[in-house]
Amino acid sequence: MKAIVFDASTLISFAMNGLLEELAELKKLFDGKFIITMAVKKEAIDRPMTIKRFKLQAMQLKSLLTRKILELPSSLDIDDKLIEEDAKEIVNSANRLFYGKRRNIEIIHIGESEVVAVSKILTERGIPNMLAIDERTMRLLCEKPENLRELLERKLHTKITVQKNPKKIIGDCMVIRSTELIYMAYKKGLIKLKGNMVLDALLYAMKYKGCSISENEIQDIKNLDVRK
Amino acid sequence: MQEVDNILRIFQEAKVAMMEGDGSLLRNLSDQTINTASRTQDPDNIATAVIVYALSKIVERSDYKKQLGWSTFYNNLIRTIDKTIKSIEEKKDFLIKKNLELMRKEIGNLSGNLKKYIEDVFRRSSINKASRIYAHGISQERTANLLGISIWELQGYAGRTNVSEAPESKTITVKQRIKRLGDLFK
Repeated sequence: MKAIVFDASTLISFAMNGLLEELAELKKLFDGKFIITMAVKKEAIDRPMTIKRFKLQAMQLKSLLTRKILELPSSLDIDDKLIEEDAKEIVNSANRLFYGKRRNIEIIHIGESEVVAVSKILTERGIPNMLAIDERTMRLLCEKPENLRELLERKLHTKITVQKNPKKIIGDCMVIRSTELIYMAYKKGLIKLKGNMVLDALLYAMKYKGCSISENEIQDIKNLDVRK
Repeated sequence: MQEVDNILRIFQEAKVAMMEGDGSLLRNLSDQTINTASRTQDPDNIATAVIVYALSKIVERSDYKKQLGWSTFYNNLIRTIDKTIKSIEEKKDFLIKKNLELMRKEIGNLSGNLKKYIEDVFRRSSINKASRIYAHGISQERTANLLGISIWELQGYAGRTNVSEAPESKTITVKQRIKRLGDLFK
């Protein structure tokens, strides 16, 4: 068994670009599970279901859940209560991690910490897993907290110190984004559109719908495609 | 309320800018509150950033002024800004909160197209400010929650900004990331 744990941000990028069926096709090639937590379900499906502008995409995402393309952690025998407890601990610690001008800088929210909590539980159980996160803050916290400290310091114009070792809170999470997932779908021939501009269009579509990827990184992916 | 002196100055200058119809200065004043709003996440600072930005959009639209109910709305807004300034000067925190809420409630008293326009201006202002706070390093979900908007609205807007181009955004190479994903798919 293995798993990809999705944050709301990655699902939103796929949904807003009308690429959920490509995600479903990718799942068929994956010998594991695509997991979403209850808090992510709330943000990606339940809440937008009440907003006319996003209702259609929310319904399409719900359909992925019904078809078991996306599954809840209970499908891996992970108790929601355990996730909630671990997530609370993560959010509380992470929000005391960065300190500046005599106060903690609170950076994340509970839904984002649930994703990390599930990843940590899976790792403890020996299940290989990755996190799919398009938003920037959580990705930086997982991969390079020092960059997040530098960003906060530069944007807030104040000295920011790190109060604790971030690895002790977050663990060793591995992050991918919608851009890497759609690249995988493209390489596996799952994209119906053909032509030499398709990859560029897919990557920029994800970027413009909120995936945190730079233009240079998009170029790097395109170069990778040319080399292969 | 955090950093009260700064907010007092913002509202004093915002009133003058509003009466002069200077949208650019109002936007600048709103931007000045974003640092404090990102760092403290104080609801009053956030409300100030949203309101002042919304005012910039309102004063720039001359067609609003032809709408029924405009002058009452405008005069009430100026009066509420005056009351807010007075509350801050007198250090009456509870009145500051009340007056900031009153400004939002003024919209509720509107009717017809003007109500629809102004509601839309405030919603867009919230999304714009959320995007600025996200750019400062606060996560999407936390920011959306602070501003009372959905992640969907914030993400769609943030994608059109240059947040991802910040040098700190880069962590590992895409080659490493794709290799990891490829390994998981094997």
